[in-house]
Amino acid sequence: MNKYDGKWERQINELLDGELGETDAEELKSAASDDRELARNIVEAFQLKQLMDGLHVERAPASLRKRLRSIPREQRSAPGLRWLQPRWVAALAAVPLVLIAVSLMQPKTPSAEEVATARQELAIAFSYIDKAGQFTRREIELTVGQTMADAVTGSVNRTIKFQNVISREKKV
Amino acid sequence: MGRRYRQWVKDYQDQAWTLARYLLKDAQEAEDATQDAFVKLWHNQERIDPERIKPWLMKVTRNGCLDRLRRRRDNVEFKDSHMAGDVSGPLQGVAANELGGWLRQAIEGLKEPYRSLVVLRDVHQHSYEEVAGMLELSLSQVKVYLHRARKELREQLTEVRP
Repeated sequence: MNKYDGKWERQINELLDGELGETDAEELKSAASDDRELARNIVEAFQLKQLMDGLHVERAPASLRKRLRSIPREQRSAPGLRWLQPRWVAALAAVPLVLIAVSLMQPKTPSAEEVATARQELAIAFSYIDKAGQFTRREIELTVGQTMADAVTGSVNRTIKFQNVISREKKV
Repeated sequence: MGRRYRQWVKDYQDQAWTLARYLLKDAQEAEDATQDAFVKLWHNQERIDPERIKPWLMKVTRNGCLDRLRRRRDNVEFKDSHMAGDVSGPLQGVAANELGGWLRQAIEGLKEPYRSLVVLRDVHQHSYEEVAGMLELSLSQVKVYLHRARKELREQLTEVRP
């Protein structure tokens, strides 16, 4: 195993893999009979292979087998998660906004209860207005009633007299 | 679709689990990594050539394990406590064999991609072509790397042999 190290290493591996041709195998065997180190390497390679053959693919534990079997069921039952992509989230979020906008555009029809309440509030308002009107009229009568009456009456009389004068002048 | 998947689980769960077990050295984490790989298989089964399911699954399992190792950041640290007395691992058949136990530790101590190469080729017995496909390496790279890995193991074997 000196200057031929690379070559012998390749041939040893091919021998272990069962891929070494007959000619190469004879060459390796011949070289090993004269080279104790090469012979020892071949022996160790076979010992390693024997140990390797003792290693097997391990049976997966029952817990893992159960988990793997349940993957289809779990993945099928969670398709909703795949719907939660941004475009779908945006689309879903837009639905209530559209509904709100449409409802705002519709003319509002008051309910019977709202109509009854409005009528009651209106009746109260009118009763206040009536009371306020009566109070105001009394105040006017008490403070400026006579004066206002004279002023109005006087004004009317003057107007009538003026109209009579004009009529006579036209006849003349 | 479910029937095909169940068949793949039956055919490849042990290999994926064993690879994850060797790479992660932790049974619970190996279970998680294997499950992750099969979930990906479930979601991608329509896109994968049925003839390439096994190499695809092994590649995904290995990549998942390597991601976990990177996150763990202790992939070079050997856990004696995990190995001691553990007879449920890949060496179940040779647990009593001291050299067999040593070999498993030695393989787990190899660096990547040597460790995956030895597991896939020498433990799983996949062909060189299959291993090349799983690890996305050329055929010559697989051979050269595997020879180096075996030589390293042989040298370690020489040191521990009585």
